[in-house]
Amino acid sequence: MINNDTLTLYYYNDGLTDDERNHVESALRSDTNLAARYGALSRQLSGWNDPETPAAPPHLLARWHDSIDRAAQSENNAPEIEKTGPFQFFSFAWGGALAATLALGVALGMFFSGNDVIPIPDGIPVEVTQSTAVPASFTRGLQVHLRESQWELASLPAEASTDNAQLLMQIIEQNRMFERAAKQNNSPNVARLLRAFEPILMRLANEDIAPEDAEALRAQLAFELNVMLTKLARDPSKEAHTT
Amino acid sequence: MHLLPKILFVSLALFVANTSIAQESADDAEQLKIAALEALISAPPDRALPIVEKVLAGDHSDEVKSRALFILSQIDLPEAQAILLTTASSQSGELQLEAIRMIGIGGDPETLAALRGIYDTGDIEVKESILHAYLIADDSAAVFEIAANAVDDDEFEQAVQMLGVMGATDELAKLRDRDGSTESLIHAYAISGDYESLRVLATDSSDPEQQMQAIHGLSIVGGEQVGTTLMEIYRSTDNAEVKESAVHSMMIADYDEGVLELYRASQDSNEKRDLLQLLVMMDSEAALQIIDETLGGGQ
Repeated sequence: MINNDTLTLYYYNDGLTDDERNHVESALRSDTNLAARYGALSRQLSGWNDPETPAAPPHLLARWHDSIDRAAQSENNAPEIEKTGPFQFFSFAWGGALAATLALGVALGMFFSGNDVIPIPDGIPVEVTQSTAVPASFTRGLQVHLRESQWELASLPAEASTDNAQLLMQIIEQNRMFERAAKQNNSPNVARLLRAFEPILMRLANEDIAPEDAEALRAQLAFELNVMLTKLARDPSKEAHTT
Repeated sequence: MHLLPKILFVSLALFVANTSIAQESADDAEQLKIAALEALISAPPDRALPIVEKVLAGDHSDEVKSRALFILSQIDLPEAQAILLTTASSQSGELQLEAIRMIGIGGDPETLAALRGIYDTGDIEVKESILHAYLIADDSAAVFEIAANAVDDDEFEQAVQMLGVMGATDELAKLRDRDGSTESLIHAYAISGDYESLRVLATDSSDPEQQMQAIHGLSIVGGEQVGTTLMEIYRSTDNAEVKESAVHSMMIADYDEGVLELYRASQDSNEKRDLLQLLVMMDSEAALQIIDETLGGGQ
């Protein structure tokens, strides 16, 4: 079966061999369900197109793909998330996860466009700027990540569910990436804040959480994210001097 | 340039919310206070600090005070840290825990060090919050001190677990010789991905129970070198339980190449059957190949 990752790569004409592209093309011609799924995906992806977003270089794109695979693998291995039946493309979690992944791509694309390389989880080798200043590209990428997190948290249905938990695990994965990036980019204040978000996100991901507790945690995160964004917008270069 | 109006807005909003207009609902008033606090982040620190201090001392809900504590953690003034520390030591319940978290976020070394005194006299929740604050501040040395001086196993276990989450392999290695604490350490080695410490314990057959725990820990770490080590353990032991532990860890580590190799090398039909079942459970491509070979061989 052709999954949505493959369809996404097909849409972007990226990462598939000629044979794989031919296989997708042929399947789209013969499988009406797949064609409908691809149509919906294309509409969703075209809505997210951002002509001003700088493209990441191919080698960094490959690392990004790898990091997504690892994140997905790690999510699949997470014991606390109960797996449910067949994959539902139109489920909230998939839509949210795809949005989150693309947002991460945009954020990392912005960051990479500044000629820096942030560490990707699991020990992939990195190049890090040795300067004491915080790269502007990192700050911009972080702002995108925080805004997306804010949006995703605000869009979460009130009732805890497996879908919510899966999306929150995605946010946690991205949060960890930016926390490591912050650490490597002279931003210990940002790194501490991102680390402080994780226990709250983990509690939110708990499927047994009461709706009123989830609401309180989301309100807390919304406040802290807003303050962080305001601070970043106010003085993006201050970080290096405040520790 | 627009700071004065902002300060006036914040003060007015807090005043208005504080005195509570009759027709306004309590929720609206609460939200207004929170919005006012959020706006404070744009004010100069020396102007924001007294307002936050006043909120903390006033008759506001825990939610509003918690938000004020967060703003305090973002104010780069020593007085802000002092207020956080006072709140962490004098308050109780959620506000105390929140103040401790904010000290972690603030990351000031002196304030973090002062948390140790609160830790010693705090209850379980306070101790756990302080460990989390050290995690947020990435202060593995402070967590190590707590683990090294732990007065009971639970306290040691919590601190060691935190070191594992922090990936503090050096600090964990220093705790290796503590009596009766190997199980907690093994968990922490697994969480921190410390392959080498686990390998040493997993290949030591003097205590099979401990050996099996370490073998399980290896499966969590995963990776090719783990697979090779598990194979060696499987082949070198005569203990059936250790063998079973090794092969199950290969399954958890998704090392089907190793299981396949053991299957092909085995001369024991019972063992071959068990290994084949394992390959099927692992959803390995090799399982179908073997089934095909086995059925084809009988024709």
